[in-house]
Amino acid sequence: MGEVIVITSGKGGVGKTTTVANIGTGLAKEGYSVVLVDTDIGLRNLDVVLGLENRIVYDIVDVANGHCRLKQALIRDKRLESLYLLPAAQTKDKTAVTEEQMKELCQKLKEDFDYVIIDCPAGIEQGFKNAIAGADRAVVVTTPEVAAVRDADRVIGLLEAAGLNEPDLIINRLRPDMVKQGNMMDIDDIIDILAVDLLGVVPEDEMIVISTNKGEPAVLDSRSNAGEAYRNIAKRITGEDIPIMLLEANEGIMALFKRLIGRKK
Amino acid sequence: MKRDIDRIHMLMQLTPPSEILRHDKPPEIYPHLYNKGSQSKDFGKKDPQKADKASHINDDIGEVEIPSDMTILIQRTLRSGQSIRYPGHVVILGDVNPGAEVVAGGNILVFGTLRGIAHAGAHGNTKAIVAAFKLNPTQVRIAGYITRAPDNAEDDCVFQHPEVARVYDGKVVIEKLSMGGNKVSTQ
Ligand SMILES: Nc1ncnc2c1ncn2[C@@H]1O[C@H](COP(=O)(O)OP(=O)(O)OP(=O)(O)O)[C@@H](O)[C@H]1O
Ligand SMILES: [Mg+2]
Repeated sequence: MGEVIVITSGKGGVGKTTTVANIGTGLAKEGYSVVLVDTDIGLRNLDVVLGLENRIVYDIVDVANGHCRLKQALIRDKRLESLYLLPAAQTKDKTAVTEEQMKELCQKLKEDFDYVIIDCPAGIEQGFKNAIAGADRAVVVTTPEVAAVRDADRVIGLLEAAGLNEPDLIINRLRPDMVKQGNMMDIDDIIDILAVDLLGVVPEDEMIVISTNKGEPAVLDSRSNAGEAYRNIAKRITGEDIPIMLLEANEGIMALFKRLIGRKK
Repeated sequence: MKRDIDRIHMLMQLTPPSEILRHDKPPEIYPHLYNKGSQSKDFGKKDPQKADKASHINDDIGEVEIPSDMTILIQRTLRSGQSIRYPGHVVILGDVNPGAEVVAGGNILVFGTLRGIAHAGAHGNTKAIVAAFKLNPTQVRIAGYITRAPDNAEDDCVFQHPEVARVYDGKVVIEKLSMGGNKVSTQ
């Protein structure tokens, strides 16, 4: 029996979809069977980020309403055998599935997969409620900005009210240079407010933009700092004990440094 | 007789799981295409007379002739999330963007760029066609044949002339639209 993990944030655009694509790909690369579920009905992105848009025939709404069998709607990834996508519908809205249907769907999926990772839409309305309905565990993504942290706090409260206690936190788009200059919230500030466990820190990385446009998750790119951070997060999800270095961002910069030195030889 | 085919390619050749992308038995397997989506415009239902004509097509699966007066004209670009469903022919003066969808019982003509999904002959008519000034679709579906764009398609592989997709020899093929040589079916 697998585990259902919802990736959520409250605030839009902080990196939920990027996180789902990268963690999912990272886990599949470790050999786990993984299905990524896009619940952002009407504004789906996950298919594009994974480069699978042209394969969609059926979607989550078709499955929920019994228009097709679950297996027919699952799209296998181009690169990894054990990675699947259940896409959202684009021409419907969030009310097209119910919390009950989501629970049932998650239950079915975790019978077949080690990890079911759910991409939650922004906001705290029906789409959010659907996304968390069948989850066993939640991961909250925030950026080091006051507004994003405020929304993360709100969401953590709602998750706890829904019985999803002790969610984990991912801080995305951290810029160590800005933190150093005192122009960005640092990790301690954020943890101080949110009082949850830190699952990882992902640095700001322009490779994310490139990989998103190409439809190839950065986690597969050994040169990407953010990819490195996501590889570590994936391992932590499976229970591996990988310490969070003072800053994973710094770790990334060190790695880059080493490579630069290595190249000169 | 050899046809003047400028470019034939089977979109499906770079195949993934074939059972997902190709279906031989059309209408039963995607009945949901004919349910009204909340945001989709079901033009057939607006005109009772035409809706009547349409109903026999729904029942009568297969190569049913659709009269050319059963045609609607959409004078705008369809954006992501928008869809048009119509039991007759659909003509679009504008583009069909990625994430947008046109489903027609008959032919689909796009006087613009087709980047999204077009499903012609959706009730099972394999003689239906999809034509566009620029054909660069996410998917083309004709009757039960579902084909997708090749992966890593560069923009420059999109031809600058009008093209037509149709089923030929059991495959969806794309060819240059020439008004003289290969006559477009009016089915
Ligand atoms: N670590 C990063 N470095 C640089 N850019 C990033 C990083 N993480 C995310 N981005 C960029 O931020 C944008 C938003 O990311 P994403 O779509 O994953 O957010 P989201 O939370 O899913 O948004 P929405 O709420 O709209 O669903 C994207 O353009 C993405 O490329
Ligand atoms: Mg998203």
